[in-house]
Amino acid sequence: MKTKVIEALPELVKNNVISEEVALKIREFYDVQQTDSPNKLFTLFGVMGALLVGLGIILIVAHNWEDFPRSLKTIFAFLPLLIGQVVAGFTILKSKSTTWREAAGTFLFFAVGSSIALVSQIYNIPGDLSTYMLTWILLCMPLVYLLKSNAVAILHLVFSTVYAVSLGYGFNGLAEVPWWYLLVLGFLLPYYFQMISRRPQAQMVSIFNWLVPLSLVLTLGAFLKENGELGYLMYIVLFGIFYNIGKLTFFKGHKLRWNGYLILGSVGTVVTLMILSFIDVWNFDRQASLFSSPEFFMAALLFCIALGILIYVDKRRGIDRSNLYHYAFVLFTILFFVGMVHGLTATILVNILVLLLGLMTIKLGTDKSHFGILNYGLLIITALIVCRFFDTDMSYIIRGLLFVGVGIGFFLSNYIMLKRRNKSVN
Amino acid sequence: MKTIYIFLMFLVVVVAQIFVPAQLIFDQNKVLSKGVPYKFKTQPVDPSDPFKGKYIRLNFEANTAPSKDSTWSFGTPIYVGLGTDSLGFAKVDAISRELVEDSNFIKAKVDWYDLQDKIVHFSFPFDTFYMNETKAYDAELAYFEAQRDSLPNNTYAVVYVLHGKAVLDNVFINHVPIAEYVKKK
Repeated sequence: MKTKVIEALPELVKNNVISEEVALKIREFYDVQQTDSPNKLFTLFGVMGALLVGLGIILIVAHNWEDFPRSLKTIFAFLPLLIGQVVAGFTILKSKSTTWREAAGTFLFFAVGSSIALVSQIYNIPGDLSTYMLTWILLCMPLVYLLKSNAVAILHLVFSTVYAVSLGYGFNGLAEVPWWYLLVLGFLLPYYFQMISRRPQAQMVSIFNWLVPLSLVLTLGAFLKENGELGYLMYIVLFGIFYNIGKLTFFKGHKLRWNGYLILGSVGTVVTLMILSFIDVWNFDRQASLFSSPEFFMAALLFCIALGILIYVDKRRGIDRSNLYHYAFVLFTILFFVGMVHGLTATILVNILVLLLGLMTIKLGTDKSHFGILNYGLLIITALIVCRFFDTDMSYIIRGLLFVGVGIGFFLSNYIMLKRRNKSVN
Repeated sequence: MKTIYIFLMFLVVVVAQIFVPAQLIFDQNKVLSKGVPYKFKTQPVDPSDPFKGKYIRLNFEANTAPSKDSTWSFGTPIYVGLGTDSLGFAKVDAISRELVEDSNFIKAKVDWYDLQDKIVHFSFPFDTFYMNETKAYDAELAYFEAQRDSLPNNTYAVVYVLHGKAVLDNVFINHVPIAEYVKKK
């Protein structure tokens, strides 16, 4: 893209499309970016190098050098850790560059993990994966701030998620609620907010804008124990929070693909509602104890947060009243309690809600002339029709006609929009 | 913030990062040097850990106890009182739901309760013995070979117990450490 623009400059100047001055400015702009990029690249290679060396050490350790005496193996267990600590200490004392901070942090992160693993191995110390990972995360947690390392922050987030998932879903024995996850995630949030306030447009912030909500989506289910049905409500409310965060003024200048909150919020809402559009899902136990369960209080807390964000977005920016995604979680909360009394009514209403969301998305795509949004809306409608094929007794002719109709709809809407766009360009 | 303050905080982190594995070693060594050794008859199986490498999981023979209490559920802690049989192998003398102030009691986890035979099944925490990646599977095979070739119940783990804390020291087949036994084979 960059080379193409620079190559086209002489021709644009020659044909008086842009002035010499503008061409010079464009060239200067790309020159500045070019002098910046080797540093970024160097940092990336530094992190990759440290990551591979760190992982390599863990694998070498995993071999188990049983011919060596226990004392020698213990020295080897601490050696990578000490090297990592010296390098990281040197980086802090000498205020070294970003590359140093990122590489030293990454290496030290893995050195801590390998030293605990090796000591456990040498001395046959029992312990499950989640306890081991939690110790590892807690010992490396301060490095995020001390080294100001994005790589360590990402590793911290990824490993915290793995810890919560493995403990909460019982991958290594009895499932337990991963409360520590909330603490370690909370510890990272000030760093994340700092990043947002300093360089909101930076690519690293965009990566975090995906990783943070993804981590929450993966781990929320780990907090559900006895009242799993409340999980549907909690997820819809969580996606409502994400969607409204994605609509904050801060994200206004961001490209849609870097707005993880908005995409996850929207897709998550639709997928969960799609699951709930099946009547069988509503056959859950209706017990009074549900309202005094920890899951209920968590759902209530999430709802309050979601409502707070919705009000904030509305006050700051003014939400689009016709955009159902903003308050789909409120509608669903009402629907959820309706469903507890009458499952069929809730199923029908959820189907209508999904249909409305699909139609609204198509309208949004058409208004914005955005093919991605338009086809996403059409996809919602198609998915809804496909889902209804499984639990309704429609005749094959009607089903066939519906598919043909949606197919024509796909073609026509895209064609009309393409034509409209070409017209406006001309 | 000044670099020196950041560095001082980093030093605290450094101490913690060294202290945790060092404390693990210290605790294990204390039990190994001062604890009472028990020989647990066992059967090794060969799984692996993504970070710590290959190990043999030990299925101990002494993993049940009669109990009239049918409310034992998976994962709940159970305190097991150890003793030795006439051949010198570890056996279960007593079980308790509550922590018992007796050096021979160690903490285990309930697996399941057999309603028919009124027996509670449990797992000890010291069921992991790390081995060289090429030898863990061979160890499992060696165990089965040894079972065929010689006297039964010839595989046992030596576990040291001190103040309720248990540390696995080594695993033996026919009184030879398992790593050496596999190497000889």
